[in-house]
Amino acid sequence: MKPILLIVDDEIRVLSALRRTLRKEGYEILLASSPQEALKFIGDYEINAILSDHKMPGMSGLEVLAEAQRQRPNAARILISGWPEAVEPAELAALDVHALLPKPWDDAELKSELARALR
Amino acid sequence: MAQSTLVRIVLLNPSPGAPARAGGSESPAVASLARLGAEVGIEAVHTASEAGAHALGHEVDLIVADTGVAAAEVEALLERMRDEGPPVVVVMDADDPEAALDWFRRGASDCVAAGAASEALPAAALDLIRRHRTNRERQTAERRIASLRRYTKNIIQNIHSALLVVDGACRITYANSTAEELLGEPPGSLLGQEATRFFAGEAAADQPLLRTLEKGERFRGAEAWVARADGERVPVAIFCGPMRDDAGQELGAVAILQDQSETRRLQRQLFQSEKMASIGQLAAGVAHEINNPAGFIDANLFQMEEYVADLRRLWRRARALESAARSALEAGPTGAEALRTELAALRAEADEVDADFVLEDLGKAIRESREGSERIRHIVQDLRTFARPDARERVWADVNQCVDSTANIVWSLMKHAVELEKDYGELPALLSHPGQLKQVFMNLLMNAYQAVAAKVGDSGALGRIRIATAVEGADLVVTIQDEGIGIANDDLARIFDPFFTTREVGTGTGLGLSTAFHLVQAQGGRIEAESREGEGSTFRVVFPQTPPDPSAR
Repeated sequence: MKPILLIVDDEIRVLSALRRTLRKEGYEILLASSPQEALKFIGDYEINAILSDHKMPGMSGLEVLAEAQRQRPNAARILISGWPEAVEPAELAALDVHALLPKPWDDAELKSELARALR
Repeated sequence: MAQSTLVRIVLLNPSPGAPARAGGSESPAVASLARLGAEVGIEAVHTASEAGAHALGHEVDLIVADTGVAAAEVEALLERMRDEGPPVVVVMDADDPEAALDWFRRGASDCVAAGAASEALPAAALDLIRRHRTNRERQTAERRIASLRRYTKNIIQNIHSALLVVDGACRITYANSTAEELLGEPPGSLLGQEATRFFAGEAAADQPLLRTLEKGERFRGAEAWVARADGERVPVAIFCGPMRDDAGQELGAVAILQDQSETRRLQRQLFQSEKMASIGQLAAGVAHEINNPAGFIDANLFQMEEYVADLRRLWRRARALESAARSALEAGPTGAEALRTELAALRAEADEVDADFVLEDLGKAIRESREGSERIRHIVQDLRTFARPDARERVWADVNQCVDSTANIVWSLMKHAVELEKDYGELPALLSHPGQLKQVFMNLLMNAYQAVAAKVGDSGALGRIRIATAVEGADLVVTIQDEGIGIANDDLARIFDPFFTTREVGTGTGLGLSTAFHLVQAQGGRIEAESREGEGSTFRVVFPQTPPDPSAR
């Protein structure tokens, strides 16, 4: 069975590009364009990994990851941000976030981080 | 002489040692002068030089040269008193018209015969004293007037402001030296010139001086440009009002011009640093806003490269199929087998690369990437118009465009906490500095955002910010309303003070609102603030509409 990867970003063009990039990586990909949608997927699916943008309307990516950790503690958590410098390392550590990726991201790094997280 | 003495007389008297008012043995001159009254003080001296020293050193009203004084002494005295000093009466031994004429020539004011002294001397003395006093008072008054005039002139010439007085036809009737320097004209050349030529370029209806002359308007620090004879343009603050005489008759106008070049330069520096501070705050939002499209464009390009590789593989198969088909045509039926093999290989390759998907998604990836690069271009453009220093002179600005492009810049920074509502009305163009307008809106929007962010915190709720523009009567009004934490009543009066901030140190310069206030004021507008603590604030930026003026277009 393919691992389920939930991608969260309020920017649908980013979702589209991420799906394109990960098309051949062998994941079942769920795309959520808002934190609310992401919370619904977290409740509905046994996700194996979650890749979330940080700055989104109403709720930050860290908050989404926290909710994922609560409901799906085994799912790997990766945060991706246009301004990673602004993310508090302590908060990442507290949520046991697997990786913090910058935007623009490096495709190879993204793929390898996901693969490692799901190992 | 006694303090109460009103009239002071010096008596040049030949008898040494004798007190002036010792009694009957005195000369008739002394006796008759004494009759002038108790307030007459008589000082007896015995030489011309003594008398002269006395007369010039004190406020002496009259010198009487008594009989018996050597003629040479009297002559010396008259010589000494010729141009200044009190009048001199010479008492002669006898009534001798010839001698009297001679004394008159030498400068005596009157001559009295000793015999007639008791009758004539007091009268002559009084008359001379009266004339001398009048004369002295007039000279004193003239000196004081001249000194006052010099004093006033010095004040007017030395104040660091240009002073211009114009008549009803706006011709210059007075200008101080600062005015000559400011207008770049040689000393004295301003008189009679039309003052309006120094405000060239300004629409006639806007010239404060003309508005003062025509409508009696007063200006306090209005912004204007002076066009110097050498072509240079100097920003000035103009204070002017009508000049009326005591009867209220209009004589023209008085104007004070203050060179604002240095002030403007400092202001520009301050605004620039404030702008850099706001830009610093924006960096995060902008980085986010640019990195999103940069991220997906980058990923798309990488993917498109793979798609192109896939398509190249397909094309190689297609070429193989082509040559197989050609061979098959030449070889006849025996070539069909090779053709079938290549066809199957092309099909397999197409399935493997998912050719239909690749072709479709390649188009999509290109469209999405182009949209992303367009967005980056917009952001950079907005930022550039924001950071660009304004031209020194005002231009016609679209206020809606200014407020909207500013809202676009700050949007990425605030969208996680804010719901933005825009309600733009139809606005006429405003003669202003668009870059400064944008900074004003930016500062107000940042302020609104921070008020909202402080209220919603991490709750996930969104706070509303409403931007509205409208024409209200003669004014053009931009309203920025937030549902933030509001401002305490005590603070409301101070929010436009420089460095006043309620936020933590390091989160703002405390200059945002004060900068906005001054920028708006410098353009002839005003900012009104209203707030309810806990409910939100409303800032209204009000500009008087620029009257349409064909010559300025």
